[in-house]
Amino acid sequence: MKKLLLGTVALTLAAFGGMAEAKTYKIGISNTVQGNGWREEMVCAMKAQALASGEVSSLNIAHRNTDAAGQSEDIRNLIQAGVDAIVVNPANADGVNAAIKEATDKGIVVVAVDQAVTEPSAYILSNNQEQYAYLGASWLFKEMGGKGAVVYMRGAAGAGADNDRDKGFKKALAENPGITVASEVFTGWQQDQGKQQINDIIASGAKFDGIWTSGIDNVIVDALVESGAPLVPVVGADNAGFVGQLSTVAGLKGAAVTNPGSVGGAGVALALQILDGKAPAEKTTLVDPVVWDNTTDAGKALLKAAANPSLSPEWPVSVSIPGWTTYSQDQVIACKGPGE
Amino acid sequence: MTRILSKNIWTLGLAALLAVLLVITKLIQPDFGVSGLDSLGRAALPFALASLGMAVVVIAGGIDLSLASMMAVTSVTAATLMDGASDGQSVLVVLFVLLLGAAMGTVNGTLVVVSRVPDIVVTLSMLFVWQGTALLILNAPGGAAAPWLRALSVGGVTLPFVPEALTVWLPKSVVFLFVCLAVVWLPIRRSKLGLMFYAVGSDALAAFRSGVPVGRTKIAAYAVTGLFAALGGIAVTMSTGIGEPIPGPYLLAAVAAVVLGGVVLGGGRGGLIGPVLAVFILRLVRMDLTLMSVDPNVTTIVEGSIMVVVVMFGGVVAMRGRRT
Repeated sequence: MKKLLLGTVALTLAAFGGMAEAKTYKIGISNTVQGNGWREEMVCAMKAQALASGEVSSLNIAHRNTDAAGQSEDIRNLIQAGVDAIVVNPANADGVNAAIKEATDKGIVVVAVDQAVTEPSAYILSNNQEQYAYLGASWLFKEMGGKGAVVYMRGAAGAGADNDRDKGFKKALAENPGITVASEVFTGWQQDQGKQQINDIIASGAKFDGIWTSGIDNVIVDALVESGAPLVPVVGADNAGFVGQLSTVAGLKGAAVTNPGSVGGAGVALALQILDGKAPAEKTTLVDPVVWDNTTDAGKALLKAAANPSLSPEWPVSVSIPGWTTYSQDQVIACKGPGE
Repeated sequence: MTRILSKNIWTLGLAALLAVLLVITKLIQPDFGVSGLDSLGRAALPFALASLGMAVVVIAGGIDLSLASMMAVTSVTAATLMDGASDGQSVLVVLFVLLLGAAMGTVNGTLVVVSRVPDIVVTLSMLFVWQGTALLILNAPGGAAAPWLRALSVGGVTLPFVPEALTVWLPKSVVFLFVCLAVVWLPIRRSKLGLMFYAVGSDALAAFRSGVPVGRTKIAAYAVTGLFAALGGIAVTMSTGIGEPIPGPYLLAAVAAVVLGGVVLGGGRGGLIGPVLAVFILRLVRMDLTLMSVDPNVTTIVEGSIMVVVVMFGGVVAMRGRRT
């Protein structure tokens, strides 16, 4: 009897111990671009990672089109909701610092994904945006033979990622003195806006020999094909639609630079690690991009392996980041978070 | 007493709705308190100032679609000029930006009155003009805000010789808002100019026949709107510490708050307290939906539905009131 009793006590203790170990957290998410494929994949990766980790009891998502003041409001609302960590894709590098500081002062872990913030108390997990632009632009300028005019289709003015990419692009430009910029526009990372802009450039009759895009890519190829303009080399991101075009559009030379939207899932994984007491030594972690071009056999093989017809054309094909995300492809496509 | 009550029934109803929402928020999030009210006040500030601007021009029978763009111009101007400026200089910057806002409003109003093109067309065109101007001043978010200015909207009120517990729940941002409202609007409302705004808004022809200078009154209303837009732009810079050239979501939010706040879009009727309460209601709804972790794509649908229901309900109440 005594033994049985002791056994029960031990079991109960073990059960409680187990419960204490499987501590769950409340995670908040703030994003300020809605209706963009890359951002939607990012949010889905965040949900999928929260679900797959088993450590997240609930996810509060503030996801709308707004400015830095609106994002500060969202972050403060998440603080009110009593979250343990906030994963944020910042509207710009400085504008949300005050709200982030308020969160970290309250002991909330803040991870900025995709783009950096200048607030030192936040962790940053970002794709290496400077390298992203440098690699793609270097490939493009080489493909253009080191001379000619390039159309420079940037992202959103003032976004941290756009600033960093501009540095990389300018670096490649400085290394290729024969290249001039035919036209520079901000697509705002909006498909319709980018397509309108390239149509205007084509209609203006300006001569160009290559197009560098900040990820609004498949509509640019569409516009070239539809207008019958010469198919100049195009650099884009690893969005499913563009990766498909690189294999299927006859005569198109181009390269996709990886920029996984799944960095959002990695951000959730990092936040959970920090909450579990395993904070990284460095506040900033960069994920390095890779170039997949369709002019070499090695590049073609990579493109073929990456192509994924089950994804929406605006989604990046790299739906996971090895070493960070633990969800399956089905989970990220299902886009369901804990409790959904 | 009953006259005051029935005259302000809409505003009182909104205040009651806000109180109910605050109670609901407390129920959803038992920790909701001083810092929650502070967050709410700071989030509401730029929206409230934008709504005040829109309410003035709507009362005078117009509309200003360039409101958010004027906020962007004033925000980037303030942030650019304040970058590296001393405290004394930044006071001058604020005054200059307020004048700039009023000047932009005057341009809008003059164009509407002189060209006789419908206000909606003129101010829609000016939306693009001011937006381009903002981008010319600053092509990417940047600049800075003076620390004293940022501190104006952070935290609760503390008064000397008064226990902190009594005043700390009142956010500085709310006090800032009501000071702006009182300083700009009270003198106008109490003067002939305020009366003329309402007269022109309710029937321009009748106002003209009673000797009201309709054109000049309209221009004055647009100027006041520009002044509130400048205050709104400064509030954005206070909140973010930088200037953003791309206008935020303030235009439609201001129209929504004006409608919800009981200002008749045709002009001539309504006050400025209603729109302010409406802004707080809409921000609080957003906060509650975040607290309840409602699907973000559903959030905007809920916000819109609440507006329609409240305005319809108000319409029914108003009709009943008229019958008895």
